[in-house]
Amino acid sequence: MTDKDGLYDMPLRLSRRQVISGMASLGVLTGGTARSAFGQAPKRVIIPEGDFAPLPIAIPNFVAGTPGDGEVGVSVAQVITNNLKRCGLFAPIDPAAFIEKINDIDKAPQFQNWKTINAQALVTGRMTLQADRRLKAEFRLWDVNTGQQLAGQQYFTSPEYSRRIAHIISDQIYERLTGEKGYFDSRVVFVDETGSKERRVKRLALMDQDGFNVRYLTKGADLVLTPRFSPARDEQLITYMEFGQGDPRVYLYRIETGEREIVGNFPGMSFSPRFSPDGQRVIMSLQQGGNSNLFVMDLRSKSTTRLTDTPAIDTSPSYAPDGARICFESDRGGKPQIYVMPATGGSAQRISFGEGSYSTPVWSPRGDYIAFTKQGSGQFSIGIMKPDGSGERILTSGFHNEGPTFAPNGRVLMFFRDPGGNAGPSLFTVDISGRNEQRVPTPGFASDPAWSPLLS
Amino acid sequence: MNVDKTLVASVALHVLVIGWGLVSFSSKAFESMPEESLPVDIISSDQLAKVMAGVKTGKKENPKPVVEKVAEAKPVEDTVGKITEKPPVVTETAPPPQPKLEEKPVEKKPDPPKPVAEAKPKEEPKPIEKKPDPPKVDPIAEALKKEEKKPPPKPQVQAATPPPQPSKPKTERTFDQSKIAALLDKRDPTRQAVTGDTLNSNAALGLAKGKAADNSATWGALFQSQVERCWKKPYGGIEAQKSEAAFAIKLKRDGTLEGMPVPEGTPATPYLRVYQESALRAIIECQPYNLPAAYFDEWKYFAPVFTERKT
Repeated sequence: MTDKDGLYDMPLRLSRRQVISGMASLGVLTGGTARSAFGQAPKRVIIPEGDFAPLPIAIPNFVAGTPGDGEVGVSVAQVITNNLKRCGLFAPIDPAAFIEKINDIDKAPQFQNWKTINAQALVTGRMTLQADRRLKAEFRLWDVNTGQQLAGQQYFTSPEYSRRIAHIISDQIYERLTGEKGYFDSRVVFVDETGSKERRVKRLALMDQDGFNVRYLTKGADLVLTPRFSPARDEQLITYMEFGQGDPRVYLYRIETGEREIVGNFPGMSFSPRFSPDGQRVIMSLQQGGNSNLFVMDLRSKSTTRLTDTPAIDTSPSYAPDGARICFESDRGGKPQIYVMPATGGSAQRISFGEGSYSTPVWSPRGDYIAFTKQGSGQFSIGIMKPDGSGERILTSGFHNEGPTFAPNGRVLMFFRDPGGNAGPSLFTVDISGRNEQRVPTPGFASDPAWSPLLS
Repeated sequence: MNVDKTLVASVALHVLVIGWGLVSFSSKAFESMPEESLPVDIISSDQLAKVMAGVKTGKKENPKPVVEKVAEAKPVEDTVGKITEKPPVVTETAPPPQPKLEEKPVEKKPDPPKPVAEAKPKEEPKPIEKKPDPPKVDPIAEALKKEEKKPPPKPQVQAATPPPQPSKPKTERTFDQSKIAALLDKRDPTRQAVTGDTLNSNAALGLAKGKAADNSATWGALFQSQVERCWKKPYGGIEAQKSEAAFAIKLKRDGTLEGMPVPEGTPATPYLRVYQESALRAIIECQPYNLPAAYFDEWKYFAPVFTERKT
């Protein structure tokens, strides 16, 4: 803790010095021609609407607390760098440009060295494998220009979770520098596809948000589709649709235990499931003849409630984050369009009116947008619109883009893209502004991604 | 064949003419371009008036400016002290009684507003001499050399003095001998006329009531262009559209910060805090600022406002 005291001293000393110099200059000014300067409010000079620009940030390798910790220090810094770079809001500086080598994170860095390479923020950290075999991770986030520490934390974990720690630190940095929650400490469930186009094997797979730590949840004997994460943070629960021996059914899957259970026991096909925001219910489509309607099932009482009853195909329901409304896709008006209605049922209001058809709506965790797949003019596009249908914005289009899912902070969408031909689909992310499209590395082909909530 | 020849000739001629036209026009355009290299600001008449009013601090050793360009006359220092001295210098225009009367009250030290008002009308007529002032101009010139004319104006002035601002009509009301001295001082008004009129060799800046010259459009734009290079605005999505962060900053003559910029207010949301911090970083990182030294008095202390708000 003495370390910390020393560190916190620095900014204080700086500011004290600044105060003194400020006082001195004030004295000079008032002694001179200051009357006009201080007699009135200072002249306001407007700097309007600067362009958004990624923040230059320096992330040197984390210091090794013991001689054996060099490797983990390097890998943690790399994970953080990769996260911040991929999100598009930061511009990590090439370590080759670094002038100063951080050897002790308990001393304030020489900020001039980091100003010289145009860094505006600096991350220093240390990884220490303790005697009790726990890994201690410490980091500090510095504002290079003011010399102030913006954030500082330490974490303890077991050594195999060093990547997770790096994601958590990334989130801290992201939140402190953007003012919004991060999304790096999260996972994505998706459908892994291998094999030729005719004999494609589809397995349920889970990975970290950046494409690492892939785990396969099913063996690929049966076809799986539309996996969805439970928004409830503490239970690692997935719902998905699987073609078993008979009709396709909606299943629940517990990640920690590997347990699987069927959701309800309905005649006919059930598909397109999604959790309610509290994770207590699953909303889905049930096939009834040539039509399908929306039902919601309480996972505890197993009671089922019908929400729509139309001679049309109602599917792809998704809850608003407050749970009060749902959006869904329906062809009741002819072509598939997006509708919004109360979560308890009732009259639905159509919100999509553009050309073409709209499908797979999903409500942002922030509540401000609904993302969708739009089909028209021979193209599949990913777009967003406000829940009242205004402000439609297409983020990407092409031969085939489908299945958007929001990052936990609602700032980024993941979707899958199939280039056609013999190739298979792969996953991409794009900012809701339409910037910064990035491919997500996966071992094979991949489709139907669904983002988890933040893990911590 | 003949037809072809005429056609060809016609086409050739057209091409020539059009081509020549293109070349000549374009060349003209190019020539005209380089002329504008001076920073030009669009300012309101109000701002212009302020400019003309001069700076409080200006010295009035040369009370009577030569008429040249209006804008440049501003730089001056202490007016106050000199004002007292000047009264003798001022030769009021005896001939046009009404204008003088008005000016005189204005000139009175206590009345800041009036001088400005007077200055404005003067400025509008860019010509060296101002509309009502033609008589004045002469007196000014004369005044420099001769202060003889003083006696006639004095009586009027005296009358005016007792009632500070609204005095115009009252000029003749009362004669207070005790206030004669004050009247003498008040002759500075001629200066006002001068400042308003001319931006001349004499930097007769200070009127008692003068406001600081406002050339912020010029150096403000320079500051903006420089600080924007360092501003990495955080991307805040839709809720960022009303963000604003203001600071008070003091600059030294060399364009470096004299101290830490002082933010105005405490940000209410995490994004606003980040927004404010990003602007603070930009201000610090982009120093020193290269701003026109002539306007140092204006930019040594000002408030940059970073904003997403339209208008």
